[in-house]
Amino acid sequence: MYKWFATKRIIKGLFMYALLIFIMSALFNSVVETTMRSQIEEQVRLESMKLKNTNTAALQKFQNERREKLIKNYKLDRPIWERIVYRAIDTITFKFGKSTIIKSSQGERDVLTIIAEAIPRSLILFTVAAVFEILFGIYLGLKKAQKPGGSLDKSTSLITMIVYGMPTWWLAMIMILFFVYTVKIFPSSGVHSVPAPEGFMYILDMLWHTALPLLTLVLIGFWGLAFVVRNIVLGILQEDYIMAARARGIPENSVLFGHTLRTAAPPLITMSLLSLLGSISGSIIFEGIFSWPGLGNLYWIAVQQNDIPVLMGDLAITIGLYQAGLVILDLTYGFLDPRIKVGGKA
Amino acid sequence: MNIKDLGFWFRDFWAEFKREGSGLVGLALLVIFVLITLFEAPLLPFKEANTRWRDITYWQDNPTNAAPVWTNLFTPKKAARTLNLNKGLKETITDTEGNSFVQESFTYRFTADKAPLDIIIHSTIKGSVPFTVLVERPDGTDIQLFQKYIESDVPTEVRFSLNNDSKNSLFAFLKLHETSENLSRVSSGSIRSTDILFNKAREGMADSFEALKGEYRFIVKAQVVNQEQFVMQDTRLVVTGSVSGILGTDNMKRDIFSGLIAGLKWALFIGLFTSAVSVLIGVFYGIISAYYGGIVDTIMQFIYQIFVSIPLLPVLIVVSAVFKPSIWFLIGVMVIFFWPGSVMTVRSMAFQIKEETYIEAARALGAGHRRIIFNHMAPLLIPYSFASMALSVPSAIVYESSVSLLGLGDASIVTWGQILHDAMMGNAILNGLWWWVIPPGLAIAIMGMTFAFLGFAMDRILHPKLRTR
Repeated sequence: MYKWFATKRIIKGLFMYALLIFIMSALFNSVVETTMRSQIEEQVRLESMKLKNTNTAALQKFQNERREKLIKNYKLDRPIWERIVYRAIDTITFKFGKSTIIKSSQGERDVLTIIAEAIPRSLILFTVAAVFEILFGIYLGLKKAQKPGGSLDKSTSLITMIVYGMPTWWLAMIMILFFVYTVKIFPSSGVHSVPAPEGFMYILDMLWHTALPLLTLVLIGFWGLAFVVRNIVLGILQEDYIMAARARGIPENSVLFGHTLRTAAPPLITMSLLSLLGSISGSIIFEGIFSWPGLGNLYWIAVQQNDIPVLMGDLAITIGLYQAGLVILDLTYGFLDPRIKVGGKA
Repeated sequence: MNIKDLGFWFRDFWAEFKREGSGLVGLALLVIFVLITLFEAPLLPFKEANTRWRDITYWQDNPTNAAPVWTNLFTPKKAARTLNLNKGLKETITDTEGNSFVQESFTYRFTADKAPLDIIIHSTIKGSVPFTVLVERPDGTDIQLFQKYIESDVPTEVRFSLNNDSKNSLFAFLKLHETSENLSRVSSGSIRSTDILFNKAREGMADSFEALKGEYRFIVKAQVVNQEQFVMQDTRLVVTGSVSGILGTDNMKRDIFSGLIAGLKWALFIGLFTSAVSVLIGVFYGIISAYYGGIVDTIMQFIYQIFVSIPLLPVLIVVSAVFKPSIWFLIGVMVIFFWPGSVMTVRSMAFQIKEETYIEAARALGAGHRRIIFNHMAPLLIPYSFASMALSVPSAIVYESSVSLLGLGDASIVTWGQILHDAMMGNAILNGLWWWVIPPGLAIAIMGMTFAFLGFAMDRILHPKLRTR
């Protein structure tokens, strides 16, 4: 049964991804093609510069031929709906083309290489932050639910509301202002020092650079999670079997972390994954403040340099990661809560 | 549900709301925000901040990167603050030779320990006018700072800046007091005029500054050669201090407090409009989806699924980068992505309401679909959406400022995100210009907090399940 459920969900995810890429392709068709045309012009110019000892007429002829051939290659002479489909298929198969300005660390201009460099850095930062957020969030949430309306519950709920509308990137600015330029204990930007140290020191150096972005993400993230955990756990603590467990004299911590947490696991994991997805969808540009060279920082650079191919590739990959996250979310939920995969309609 | 019912409902709601401490704080903050928006004109120190935010000539008299005025409280050496003297003492005098002059004098009480950065005088003059600027120092010396012959048929603005236009005359003043050894190390080009003018006249005044406190009288004097043609009006004096305004200035000399006040109404508008429209769309979408059920529900759920699986901020960034949108377009895009937020809760609630007997009764009486949806279902569900309306206000504001932070905002308005974008571009963090970075973000955070207080309070009242026992 689970196999069926999983296959269905994955196929649905793939279909959704294709559909979204198709919509994006239609939406941004004209700007993408303008960039393509100027890239073709550039290539023709480059090639004609290599030619030597030719007269004007021959050069003109060569340029026209090349231009036409390239336009045919890129299918720019086809009707518009065909171009949109073609562009969408290109994107789905990860053919993002060449960037206009941005280069990878090896100096390549292939958009896929540039993005592939950025993905792991983003994933590491956000998943590690999510792990810490979940740990702190669950712990604090359980403590809050234990004495609802108590002073701990009230004060932390207040903090939850205070940070509710606070932009992560602004907190990042403040953290840099304080920890980098006032109390000089953290570096301001990047993943490692330049030049990067060798061996064990390399790892330490990287940790040192990761500390501040991580601290910022966790500091703003776990309050909301704790609030949700509290509400979920509060519902479970009303159940009869919890009362029975307490009546049997099982220690409070065991009731809390054993009995309650197991029942609360499915919604808790959903919430945690959702908060991870939320940070991809909502606070990814915070990387730009720290010059953390991930996907979010790539948006900054691409916007500033007006590099359309990189922008489009970045968007496609972000949408893909988000889709993958949603699929994983449903699969875990189905795994933990057997009712989901059996019930036909949600 | 008619008006009377609504009144009862509201009275009940208010009775409960009164007991929510944080909700009341939120309400008070919201009222303050609305009041600031309404009384924006008297509150703005720079009246044209809204329209001329990006016009450098409008801000030219301000200091660059000046700290807020109140930082003086924490420094042992008080800095001179920026001051606008818009009206001087105007008089007409005739000298012994029968020449008539119009003069306007401004008295500046200098009490700080550091000299101001500049003294600027603006005047609008017409005719053939020999124009002079003089100053009387508290120690009794008179210095002629500036002299110019102005010839124009139309009223033209004359701008005098002490720093640029009176270096020579102040160097001459310096020569009277300073030793030749000290003088050899400076030239008329290298001195800072204000450091000489506000200095105690003594040997060594070129080296160190010792404030000569007291009243300085700046006199703007114009000789009237031809009575019919002569005009001198709108004369005003600006003291450019090294501290300025309630929240200081940025690297383009703009007053940050003015920017914050001008941005407030946009934050409020963007947040409220986006959330109100998108939540209403979401509520009706949910009701219709649940009410019709079957194939309609399936199709509507599929469309909903598409919107839910789009990561909002990346799409918003790319859309803004490609289409360079106005604020209205941006709000529109946000509405398109915000409405799914409230669909699921409303749909599940509408499924229950749909089965209620009074809906069945209404249908039996021959009520149409539209009547049932708008008159019987929506009034029950809309109050519940108020909480989610309040709670989605902060995210709309944060999304707009995130897009603005990247420099993709609407350039015809001032928003808090744009001020932060300028701060990023102007290396405000690196230079420690905290008054440029902290206030706009804090404003966003406080605005978010306000609606979080309101939203969570309403949530507790409208969904009693979450109440703390």
